[in-house]
Amino acid sequence: MATVPLDIDSLFVAALAPILGVAFFWFLQLIFIEMQKRMLAKLHHRHEAFCRFTNYIGILFQTICQALGYTATRSGIASFQVTVNYGEVQPKKEKTGMPEWIARSFLLFGPFFIPAGLVLIVSYFLVRRGFVFPIPVHYTFVESLTGFVVSLSTFANDFVNFLVNIDLFNPIHVGFLFVLLFFGFGIRPSYIGEERKEKIDILHDLILIKEHLVKNPLYILAIVCIIYVFYLLSLFLNPIVYVGLFSIFGWMSLTAIIALLLTYPVLVLIKATDEIRTHWKIVPFITLVVSYVLTRVFFIYYPITPDKSVSLLIMILSTTLLTILLIKYKRTNRFKTASKMKHLRNVDGKKRTSKKRAD
Amino acid sequence: MVKKELLKNEQIERVLSPHPLSFMKLQALCIFIILWGIVVWWLTTSSEYASMFSGNIWYRLILWGLVLLFIGVVVSLVAIQWIIFFLYLGVFAGALTLIFWQHWETNIALFIPLYSIAVSIVGFLIVELYRRSHKYIITDLRIIFKGGIFTKRERTIRYDKIADIDAKQGILGQIFGFGTIIPVSQSGFGLGSDKTMAAGGVELGIKKAKLFGFAGGGKEVQTPIARSYYELHGVYPYKNIKQLVEDLVQTHVPTQYQKAQVEFEKQQVDIQTQMRDLLHKQINEKPRKKTGRQILEEEPDEEEIEEEKTSTKKTLIPDDAYQPEQVDIQQQMKELLKKQKTARVVQPEEDTEEEIEADEEKEDV
Repeated sequence: MATVPLDIDSLFVAALAPILGVAFFWFLQLIFIEMQKRMLAKLHHRHEAFCRFTNYIGILFQTICQALGYTATRSGIASFQVTVNYGEVQPKKEKTGMPEWIARSFLLFGPFFIPAGLVLIVSYFLVRRGFVFPIPVHYTFVESLTGFVVSLSTFANDFVNFLVNIDLFNPIHVGFLFVLLFFGFGIRPSYIGEERKEKIDILHDLILIKEHLVKNPLYILAIVCIIYVFYLLSLFLNPIVYVGLFSIFGWMSLTAIIALLLTYPVLVLIKATDEIRTHWKIVPFITLVVSYVLTRVFFIYYPITPDKSVSLLIMILSTTLLTILLIKYKRTNRFKTASKMKHLRNVDGKKRTSKKRAD
Repeated sequence: MVKKELLKNEQIERVLSPHPLSFMKLQALCIFIILWGIVVWWLTTSSEYASMFSGNIWYRLILWGLVLLFIGVVVSLVAIQWIIFFLYLGVFAGALTLIFWQHWETNIALFIPLYSIAVSIVGFLIVELYRRSHKYIITDLRIIFKGGIFTKRERTIRYDKIADIDAKQGILGQIFGFGTIIPVSQSGFGLGSDKTMAAGGVELGIKKAKLFGFAGGGKEVQTPIARSYYELHGVYPYKNIKQLVEDLVQTHVPTQYQKAQVEFEKQQVDIQTQMRDLLHKQINEKPRKKTGRQILEEEPDEEEIEEEKTSTKKTLIPDDAYQPEQVDIQQQMKELLKKQKTARVVQPEEDTEEEIEADEEKEDV
């Protein structure tokens, strides 16, 4: 058993440090999600299918989290339905009180952490570095917070290092990159309902969470007590456990943020190609693949030490340069309508081109 | 081209083709070949397990072929289409033939991914050709389905013969807005069955003691199923097309009230026909007493019959002036008139004023 100084900082305030850290990173995650949603909203009218795809992943994650909530509270699952526009899980038993509250907590907080947790497990086997729990020397608020931040920065450093040196000739690495993008795009659904009735943005999430927490203050108090008891136990037995547990939540948020950051260049590329003429649109995407393959093949014959990261850099630079050139010289008609002409044609439900073709 | 095949006064509503992604099941077979080819190449050359395959040049080909055939068997069982297994067998056999023919034994590592990509590109082209062979013409009278690369197949179904509409939209369909609509005909065309069978055998011993076990099971489920050229496969925009087909079916299939109306009209026509026959009979059988009104050299036209129907009582001649046959005819005419008056169209029940008043009183209380 460790010897602990009996002062207010060690007994009470230090417990708050990792909680505040997790809350901060979760809020950061929310802001990054909001930025992504705004980018997707700008693409919506031209890339409806793409937006429906990202929305579907978001709804899928959300529905799975809801189902997990019902499973954890032993309510059972009567029906499970996921579509592009909405997801629905019906419990076998309608439980009230604490089980209902826990199930709803899974629905509200689950999408931020459960899919990220799965990606984290995958990255543990692939990255194999950065999963470090620092040992606090003094049991103070600052020391706990420093330990938490060090744990997260080590993880972030190694994770980004892995991404910078990712080998796109390795199918496992390519698969991981796709998983990361898949998760990044669908971290939250953009909307619920066929007519886009309910928009899911940062305010929507925060209002729901606030209502959920204010509704049952006793449950919050119970959870705070449990966490505090856990802190006291870990303080006297093994202080790493407490900070370590919250570090895992921090890693999840960080994984989510990195995944979201990875999606931004993809969205920017899609948005940029909208400015290019129809048949030239595909060129940046082809360049993305071809430039990397050619560079890697070149480095097989003329090897240099960081060949993978240099290949990535050349890939990004050549694609960016070519896209800019195409926007400049192969720009599409500037007087484009806000929505596609074919969508306007279909407003009355009749596609006139078909009749013409029949003639 | 399409217009030539239309019936008289037939109008085309839509001409459709399947969405490029609607044959994803077939395209997925090609995608798997490419992915597996690349994975084998990486596994046997660049991965940490590469040394396992350096002992024998055939190891990588055996690995590639075995997994390909195993997946072929599994997919064939799941999809209940043995052609998938034979397709993969053909791909494997093709690779073997090329290696032996061109003596590429030493370059198998590179041959596998390149061959996989080449075969898959051919596969993609065939799938695309197959997709483009499909054409669905929705007219105001019927739906015409066409398809097939070598053997051209065609199906026509009239809206009044459609008994049921089955519609499905997968995940890809929901994302890209396409779906499949199967019009099931009254004869059951468009309905199929899923059948699964499992069997296994064990043989022990070499000469005498042989044990053979067989386990089998079957399950048959009736399900709306049709070939892509007999259904509206992967049509875009799915919701609009579904609505259009449903509307067209609705306009060609009478509702319950309309059925009653049709029945009533049919009954009226029957009565009028019978009355006309009786009038003919009456005219032919009374040559002695002919009034100015009843002298008819030709068959009475419909207007005259109508006129006679309305003024039957006035034109009837007293019974004693005719023979018994004439009396009988007039008796039958009376019965028909009675029947005609009593026949009513079945209309939806409406509350009478009294009933409404009674309800209002109840509410007041």
